[in-house]
Amino acid sequence: MKPIRIALTKGRLEEHSIELFERLGYDCRAVREKGRRLILPIAGTNLEVVLAKAADVVTYVENGVCDLGVVGKDTIMEHGGTFYEVADLGFGKCRFALAAPKGKDFYAGYQTKRIASKYVRVAHSFFEKKNMDVDIVKIEGSVELAPILGLSDGIVDIVETGTTLRENGLEVVETLAQVSARLIVNIASLKLRKAEIEPLLTQIEGYLKENQP
Amino acid sequence: MKRYDKITPEGTRDLLFEECAAQDQVVAALSGLFSRRGYRKVVTPTLEFYDVFAESSAHFPQENMYKLCDHAGRLMVLRPDCTIPIARLAATRLKDSPLPIRLYYAENVYRVEHHLRGRASEIFQCGVELIGASGILSDLEITQLAAESLEQIGGYRMELCHIGYFKALIDSLEADDGLKETIRQEIEEKNYAALRDVLEPFGDAPAAKALLYLPRLFGGEEVFDEAYALFDHPAARQSLDYLREIYQELRTLGLERQVLIDLSLVNEADYYTGIIFRGYFDGVGEPVLSGGRYDNLIAEFGEARPATGFGINVEPLARRMEHIRHTQPPILVFCPREQFAQAVRHIRRLGQQGAAAELSTADTQQEALCQAKEQGIQRVHVITPEGEIKEVELP
Repeated sequence: MKPIRIALTKGRLEEHSIELFERLGYDCRAVREKGRRLILPIAGTNLEVVLAKAADVVTYVENGVCDLGVVGKDTIMEHGGTFYEVADLGFGKCRFALAAPKGKDFYAGYQTKRIASKYVRVAHSFFEKKNMDVDIVKIEGSVELAPILGLSDGIVDIVETGTTLRENGLEVVETLAQVSARLIVNIASLKLRKAEIEPLLTQIEGYLKENQP
Repeated sequence: MKRYDKITPEGTRDLLFEECAAQDQVVAALSGLFSRRGYRKVVTPTLEFYDVFAESSAHFPQENMYKLCDHAGRLMVLRPDCTIPIARLAATRLKDSPLPIRLYYAENVYRVEHHLRGRASEIFQCGVELIGASGILSDLEITQLAAESLEQIGGYRMELCHIGYFKALIDSLEADDGLKETIRQEIEEKNYAALRDVLEPFGDAPAAKALLYLPRLFGGEEVFDEAYALFDHPAARQSLDYLREIYQELRTLGLERQVLIDLSLVNEADYYTGIIFRGYFDGVGEPVLSGGRYDNLIAEFGEARPATGFGINVEPLARRMEHIRHTQPPILVFCPREQFAQAVRHIRRLGQQGAAAELSTADTQQEALCQAKEQGIQRVHVITPEGEIKEVELP
């Protein structure tokens, strides 16, 4: 029978995700010793793990080639899409924030502000809700550089501890949203393969409830 | 400079040969079924005025519609949906028709999709509308017809909901419209975490507790008992009774395995007024069928009529058509220029016998044989200069 495929986000969330499945009693050896393989079976089950970049996890789940996915809320907010977001897994915590050079009133003055961000959609919708016209510049690497170099008045980025901001003379002006890892499910999969997916979801929810901070 | 003259716009594609055959086959199967059930076909224009869709409760965001202007500068759109033009039709040209009216359509709709998501912006849809009937028989007819439509093509699941249950819950919650919409969205996305956060301020209010549990209310018969127990309220009970009656009737028809209940199917809650349903097809990651009762839509065009219907995306079904009827390669008919009339007569005769034949455009018999070989044609008929017909062996 067709396996249930779970897409996990590579990198920051990877270790936490694998740990979660191990605590639930799944044998993740193949995932840990993945080598160059891209699709990794979980021994003794009908589950398969795919490791992918965050935005691709959303794409795979949305299109139904993976049934479930673990991905950060930051990616979900930036990427959008249609799927069920069934659980907050509690790890990978950080927040979206608007930051500007320390001691400067970001909102002062009437000229249109310029914002640098990797997350252009998040930045757009934030300022749209404030009915504020801004110019948004997409930056791929270290966004903190943009205000230092004088390219922008502020940045929208994910902030974990705030150390990077402080070290670069920036401070948080406003928090946009809290971010953490989420479990997402393809809409059709949940309906077509309810008998297989639902017990897994119940198991994960049960675990999260028990281990609430 | 012509830069875009060799590609099609993102989200559109050329359909070739078997792809066309597969699409035709799905459309023929569906249209055949619809017309056997008394539905009559209508075609509405691909171009409609923007105003037809602009204020609709079905809610088409303006950024999702392709727009252009007519000669008088009026804004037009490529229709993003088939039901709304049919509602316009029902309230205008068909307003004096005896009710109920049964209509079906098979046409393209156009939606501006996000860049690089691999989604089609030209979508072929086939569907029905049953206008002017509001009893349970009309809801039964439509849900059964939806199931039978998918059944014709292959393995499927269908989920049923009644929007009345959700509306009873949300109406008894003291919250402003913005918050209610947020709650609705979180339920639609089964976002348990966010839903818990937005419902937290309502504490132990029964409606809030029920709303929080709503995304979990999907499955079979057992869902009803949970739902009744969760929220005891006349309007909620009435909706559940109605939904259960439909569910049980579909089960009587042997659809127990295919049909399930999902009370969190609350998409387009302003548009639907009763039963809502969606269909899924094995191996397709998104719903292929969606429909429900929309009693208020036609009134937006000035004539109140209850109505219900559904639409099916043909493309994912066509892609799953495995056994496309294998067509015999045609017979190649070669003739010298002066025997053209004889060749046409011969081709017509072959046609009457049920064989497909095509005229060779080659100047010589040898060239015709080469053409046949290249195209995988196995039979060649040659008209001789005297007008005789010979079957020629391929070398």
